[in-house]
Amino acid sequence: MDFLLKIQQSGFCQWIRESESIFSYSGILLLHTIGMGFVVGINACIDLRILGFAPALRLKGMEKFLPVLWLGFWVNAITGAMLLAIDIVNKLANADFYVKMAFIALAIINLRMLKSHVFGDPSIDKIPASGKAKILAVTSLMFWIGAITSGRLLAYVGPGSGAK
Amino acid sequence: MNAPHIHLLLNHFPTVGFSIGLGLFLVALFAKSGELKRASLVIFFMTAALTITTYVSGSDAQEAMKDSPGVSASLIAAHESAALVAFAFMQATGFFSWLGLWIFRRVSRVPNWNVAVVLILAVVTFGLMARAANIGGEILHPEIQSNRTNPAVQAEVEAEQPLAKSWGGFVENHSWVWPTAETLHFIGLSMLFGVVLTVDLRMLGIGKNLLSFAALYQLLPLGMLGFTVNLATGMVFFVATPQQYTGFLFFLKMMLVVVGAVNVLYFMLLEEPWTVGEGHDASITTKLVAASAIIIWIAVLFCGHMLPFYGNSF
Repeated sequence: MDFLLKIQQSGFCQWIRESESIFSYSGILLLHTIGMGFVVGINACIDLRILGFAPALRLKGMEKFLPVLWLGFWVNAITGAMLLAIDIVNKLANADFYVKMAFIALAIINLRMLKSHVFGDPSIDKIPASGKAKILAVTSLMFWIGAITSGRLLAYVGPGSGAK
Repeated sequence: MNAPHIHLLLNHFPTVGFSIGLGLFLVALFAKSGELKRASLVIFFMTAALTITTYVSGSDAQEAMKDSPGVSASLIAAHESAALVAFAFMQATGFFSWLGLWIFRRVSRVPNWNVAVVLILAVVTFGLMARAANIGGEILHPEIQSNRTNPAVQAEVEAEQPLAKSWGGFVENHSWVWPTAETLHFIGLSMLFGVVLTVDLRMLGIGKNLLSFAALYQLLPLGMLGFTVNLATGMVFFVATPQQYTGFLFFLKMMLVVVGAVNVLYFMLLEEPWTVGEGHDASITTKLVAASAIIIWIAVLFCGHMLPFYGNSF
């Protein structure tokens, strides 16, 4: 606990919490939201394409957007680590935080499985997509909705909710 | 130029602008002209977008005028409620007009069901908007206040709980509404971003050998759906606590949404992007419009996100 408090009370974390600068708390949270739009948005387009939406769109081409998705993911991993550090005592005592992390882990595992099962398949653009691909697309959407919901609820439930 | 002035100026879009659109639409139907239909759908869509700025500027105008002599708070509340209903129908008209335009690009005609839906919605919107404007005009035009004896206006003014106010009360008394709308706002944001990124980054060159614009065009309704979710949830916030959304930053956000609407029209109306096939490079103009789309929507997100930090939101 002492160690966690030290992190939270470090000069850097204090600066993030207290500075009025746009590069501190407000800007970090902004990047976290933009990153979310990149990751979930691109993944959702791929999922919905697998489910039959926009049939003329070639999935093989959608694969080219995965690096953009990963860029968003790493931006969010870094900004997320900062947002965790400034309130780590509360966050680690908040069940909802673990729910969010679990949803993200599941969504990322799901994405890796999609990559091997769908993008690794030579008949990738066959319509309709295989049952397995469709199941992975549905679970992907569910995991991301779960991650967004539990993430938003961090401001409402558990210790320190409402505080920045 | 002060807030009431801006509101008065913007009022011309949902009233005068929309009437021109409706007139043109009726002419198009009689003349059976596809191009005229298309033009009126563009007017409906752009009017709907501009009406967002009109509606939200009303809150600033109220803030500036509420203590002026002769201004009745109950009349403003009645105007707000009438405007809210008219606004909802205006946005529905805008949505189906957009859908008609989207279909036109693919099959070179607007399907009859779409024409019928837009026509009904537009006529209803016209009536509702006239009523909202009529009540609004009485707030500070004594020369036409004889209308106050009009029983319909009287009933609206004397309503115990005007619609907009009772919605505010509902949100206040039900703690689940706000976080639910916020979560949906984030989901809608992600849908919109997904489509903006894939369409516009392709125009800038990513995946160009495998993706044609015509194929990506099929994704646009998904982005429109995300936008609609965010407009609806955004209105949940705005109608419940309009005092949070006064000031420059929020108004800028709404203006940027209008710019975003113009931006998407480029992709729906012009030949230039439509002819970008697999392996083709987009033209410089298309690339510039695509890059600006990404910037516009990130800027919209920026303005919304910064409201609690630099705006008037809690």
